[in-house]
Amino acid sequence: MKVKVVTKILEANDRIALENRKLFDGAGIYVINLMSGPGAGKTSVLEKTLNLASGLKIGVIEGDIAGSDDAERIERCGAPVVQINTGGACHLDANMIYEVLSELPLRDLDLLFIENVGNLVCPAEFKVGENIKVMVLSIAEGHDKPLKYPLMFQESSALILNKIDLAPYLDVDMEKIRRDALSLNPKLKIFEVSCKTGVGLPEWIDWLKKQTLKR
Amino acid sequence: MHELSIAQNIIEIISEQCVRSGYSRIESVNLRIGRASGIMSDALLFAFDAIKTESVAADALLCIEEVPVSGRCSECNSDFAVEEEYILSCPHCGGNSFRMTAGREMDIIDMEVS
Ligand SMILES: Nc1nc2c(ncn2[C@@H]2O[C@H](COP(=O)(O)OP(=O)(O)OP(=O)(O)O)[C@@H](O)[C@H]2O)c(=O)[nH]1
Ligand SMILES: [Mg+2]
Ligand SMILES: [Zn+2]
Ligand SMILES: [Zn+2]
Repeated sequence: MKVKVVTKILEANDRIALENRKLFDGAGIYVINLMSGPGAGKTSVLEKTLNLASGLKIGVIEGDIAGSDDAERIERCGAPVVQINTGGACHLDANMIYEVLSELPLRDLDLLFIENVGNLVCPAEFKVGENIKVMVLSIAEGHDKPLKYPLMFQESSALILNKIDLAPYLDVDMEKIRRDALSLNPKLKIFEVSCKTGVGLPEWIDWLKKQTLKR
Repeated sequence: MHELSIAQNIIEIISEQCVRSGYSRIESVNLRIGRASGIMSDALLFAFDAIKTESVAADALLCIEEVPVSGRCSECNSDFAVEEEYILSCPHCGGNSFRMTAGREMDIIDMEVS
């Protein structure tokens, strides 16, 4: 006997993501899913953002396979933070987010960052209820990354090209990163920054404030 | 990368629907997986076989139809498919304004039950 199913495999996740989104909308928070490969600088970008974006009340959910180092770094910046350990899973899913929402003062926040597990492949596939996705790529990862991992570039609204202080020591073609990323996603907003020297961060903060407040 | 969690989702969906339709055994399942979905067929088959035991899908055969990445060009109006997991420009006119029309699928189509 043949039975029609016709269901998206991630339907259950998408449904919970929608619930999360309703909770976020109800609390009036803008939510950003922050993604990158391991060590590109997600937590560093968050630390800088927390210091520079005065006027915005920001909370953070930290997703890591194990450990609480990242949450401790955020805590030191004085922001409310919750650590999720995925226990091996290579991405955060909507249910993991749903389960920790009660631990955050949602109504007091303007903006919530969800730092995803360091992985260039799958965080882009699992919605968690975010308004937008932002990705960080460190230039040390090489200029072949947009074409090797197209999905994340296609799904993101902004790309933070980090560690540009390292450019003199690398043979990396930043123009190629820009060109390929924009071919994959012509609407992508690109910020060239260094969390070490601080260059480029003001432009990112300006954009972030506009995004958060325009809604 | 996370084919195991995908396989878990599939087993939950098909088991629930099999039982709800009044059957007790799934013989085969047909999926459509886009080449740009990030899912590797071999890894998914392996994960599915590893966890299907103990469910109504214990003997189920997974059949995967891979869907190539396709697009439609808004400059020359052609429909095309590419080998890659992405489209950078229209293969016919080289234009840059196109829309991806297929390749991101992760769908369960139907199944054979008894
Ligand atoms: N030179 C340089 N180093 C940086 C910069 N940004 C971050 N780093 C360093 O890169 C390393 C990784 O940074 P993190 O912010 O922990 O990266 P992450 O993406 O949060 O890492 P995971 O959460 O483990 O995936 C740290 O040693 C940072 O000090 C930068 O702009 N320039
Ligand atoms: Mg981190
Ligand atoms: Zn994953
Ligand atoms: Zn064309």
